[in-house]
Amino acid sequence: MRVSIYRFDPDVDQRPRMQDYDVELRHTDRMLLDVLLRLKEIDDSLSFRRSCREGVCGSDAMNINGRNGLACIHPVSELKEPVVLRPLPGFPVVRDLVVDMTQFFSHYHSIRPYVVDDRPMPERERLQSPEERERLNGLYECILCACCSSFCPSYWWNPDKFIGPAGLLQAWRFITDSRDTARSERLAFLDDVYRLYRCRTIMNCTEVCPKGLSPSHAIEQIRTALVKDSS
Amino acid sequence: MQRQAAAGGAARSLPKFLNLAQIRFPIGAIASILHRVSGVLLAVSLPLLASALAESLRSPQGFDAVVHAATRSWFAPLLFIGAWALVHHIFAGVRHLFMDAGFGYRLPQARTSAFVSIAAGIVAALLWLLAWGLR
Amino acid sequence: MRVFSGQRAWLLQRFSAIAILVLLVLGIVRLAMSDGTAYERWHAIATSTHGVVLILAFFLSMGLHGWIGVRDVVLDYVHAPSLRLPLLAVIAFILVAVQIRVAMILLGQP
Repeated sequence: MRVSIYRFDPDVDQRPRMQDYDVELRHTDRMLLDVLLRLKEIDDSLSFRRSCREGVCGSDAMNINGRNGLACIHPVSELKEPVVLRPLPGFPVVRDLVVDMTQFFSHYHSIRPYVVDDRPMPERERLQSPEERERLNGLYECILCACCSSFCPSYWWNPDKFIGPAGLLQAWRFITDSRDTARSERLAFLDDVYRLYRCRTIMNCTEVCPKGLSPSHAIEQIRTALVKDSS
Repeated sequence: MQRQAAAGGAARSLPKFLNLAQIRFPIGAIASILHRVSGVLLAVSLPLLASALAESLRSPQGFDAVVHAATRSWFAPLLFIGAWALVHHIFAGVRHLFMDAGFGYRLPQARTSAFVSIAAGIVAALLWLLAWGLR
Repeated sequence: MRVFSGQRAWLLQRFSAIAILVLLVLGIVRLAMSDGTAYERWHAIATSTHGVVLILAFFLSMGLHGWIGVRDVVLDYVHAPSLRLPLLAVIAFILVAVQIRVAMILLGQP
């Protein structure tokens, strides 16, 4: 299989470059991550993040033939050659396919990704009905891989001020959680020309989410909640 | 396109991959950027529209002059760009209004409505050129 | 400007869009339903009280909608304050000038 990979070694390279490889695959190599591990056998200077190999940790998010995805769950059978691998768009490149996720995570932290309830603790648990728990489906499954935010043009142009689809989806996850008591503060925080309202509903996020989630729909629900709460 | 590494003490700027030509955009992204382009075009044409208003109300001759400019002058065929911009922007805009109201936000429907918006604009441009050709 | 912050700008853009669509349809229907030559029909509408108000409303909606839209474009791509603020000021000025010109045209008629 012919693979072309974005290479950048900060200690050696002035500029990034593309490097071509021809790799022999075994019939057991089913996913792109398997291909990458074969490449590691040929050239072990190649750097990329990977961990669970089953699409739940989000480590191996990258740009595969122009679209973001997770290498470990991207079938080899669906790859068109030459396979072109690049790091997530718009994120600073630390080395090869490894990007700096600091800003991405700081946006996540800024939306307070935890249930806020400062009332006296209940004796046992904070109850939640099945219907209330339903509302978290399609939101809690986010693995923070950054495929969405790094594919969002609005996030490219303002990565420091726009929270991005991942952060906003998580913001909604907590706004809509029945156990949370900080709804109005959360919404007020997001009501900003940059934080929330850079979103133009381009929907690139939903197109590339490897977990099949819809950040664009979550963002739409935040906007609706803001309108409802202000009327 | 350069950025300092946030942690770890790297003092130099780090590169970014952001070559738009090497990114494969979904159809919704195409509809969206065209929505922006058509919007800017329409905004820029507002002063022109105001002038056309003035001229068209000045006298019957003024009105004729505006009609002539839009249909028979040398740049009349070029107004297919305006026709495209108006129709694409309206279709893409109405698409957004429906999605805001909760209709058609799922991926398959969103892709279809994006396609329809793009197609409508192109059809409008072709119709304009056809009408001008048959004048 | 506080008026155009976050949610308010987003809502205004939606409302002005709907206003433009409604006014466009109203205008086309009115033109189609009236008598006379093209000029006579147009002149009759543009000199009636209803017509003046609606055409003014149309341009006002276009101006507001255009301002919010173009401002979003500038906020996305232009980051240096030394460039952004003058740019926004110039655009705002032009749009306001268009409104004033349109008002003068429509209201200055016999």
